[in-house]
Amino acid sequence: MTRWFEDIVLGEEFALGDHEFNQDEIIAFATLYDPQYFHIDPEAAKFSHFGGLVASGWHTVSIGHRLMVDTLFAEEDRLRAEGLEPGVSGPSPGVNAMDFKVPVRPGDTVRYTLVVTDKRASNSIPGWGLLFNTITAINQRDELVYRAELVGFSKRRDYVMPLSLKVMQAISKVPLIGGLLKRGS
Amino acid sequence: MTNPITAGRRHFEDLAVGEMINLGHTKVTKTMITTFASQFDPFPFHLDEAAAKASLLGGLASSGWQTGALSLRMLVDSFLGTIASAGGLGFRNLKWKNPVMVDDTIGGNVTIVELRRSESHPQWGIVTLDFDMRNQKGAPVLTMRLANLVETRNPGAQA
Repeated sequence: MTRWFEDIVLGEEFALGDHEFNQDEIIAFATLYDPQYFHIDPEAAKFSHFGGLVASGWHTVSIGHRLMVDTLFAEEDRLRAEGLEPGVSGPSPGVNAMDFKVPVRPGDTVRYTLVVTDKRASNSIPGWGLLFNTITAINQRDELVYRAELVGFSKRRDYVMPLSLKVMQAISKVPLIGGLLKRGS
Repeated sequence: MTNPITAGRRHFEDLAVGEMINLGHTKVTKTMITTFASQFDPFPFHLDEAAAKASLLGGLASSGWQTGALSLRMLVDSFLGTIASAGGLGFRNLKWKNPVMVDDTIGGNVTIVELRRSESHPQWGIVTLDFDMRNQKGAPVLTMRLANLVETRNPGAQA
């Protein structure tokens, strides 16, 4: 989230917003990324066990990600408006689990919620922390569409770089020595 | 009832653990990266060269969701679209190992690691697949274990 690693409260729920899926966007996404007949052909899809066109799971997940990014940007703006410096989120190293439960059909509205369930300092990247997030997607009938356990990077506000690391970083910026260091590592 | 769309395709009974599927290759262009990112992942490090250089990624790189979606597309073309697939169940342990940078070519292999019949739905089996996606230098970019439903030809057979 766009909060400093230290300020993130475990268990707090963030409403990410909702999205109504229409047939055209379902077919457009699946044509590019998941062209199976039940995602792209409404007539052929009737023969599948779904009984009609359904969205690719990756489409519902990608929309959920977009809503999360929009929520982060909105919170960043809100913090800046209050004169505060927002935290920094980085790229994600991975997804521990993704379970697709109920399919999304044209006309369905899906509501997304994020909860940070755990956090710890990163071992590999100094100055950053890892967040363990759960996203749930629920349709208008209150059925679970998917549940995801994701990992994300968040910058640590209170991190002080050890002197040895600072020296290494400064030296590595000198072209000749930096090149030698890289070759050696 | 026979599904006329999948009738001529390989069914659950026709798959074998250890079967390896070659996914071929896809070149990931700057336009592909920014088009996907503007729609689904509009962080500056997926849209803007300067912002990307200053980020942990070190340069303009595809959204991890796009790398996953492109891997899925390759799996549909070379496997799921040729068998009696009945939809995805999800995945485990997706790891973005290295960023996919502009004009990288990604490709890889998928291996069938498990096959089991559904106990509650005899018309389906579950195929579990391990992805090993790499860039043109052979460096890993994405791994994951994906589970997909496949229609059985003979639902009455022993589980």
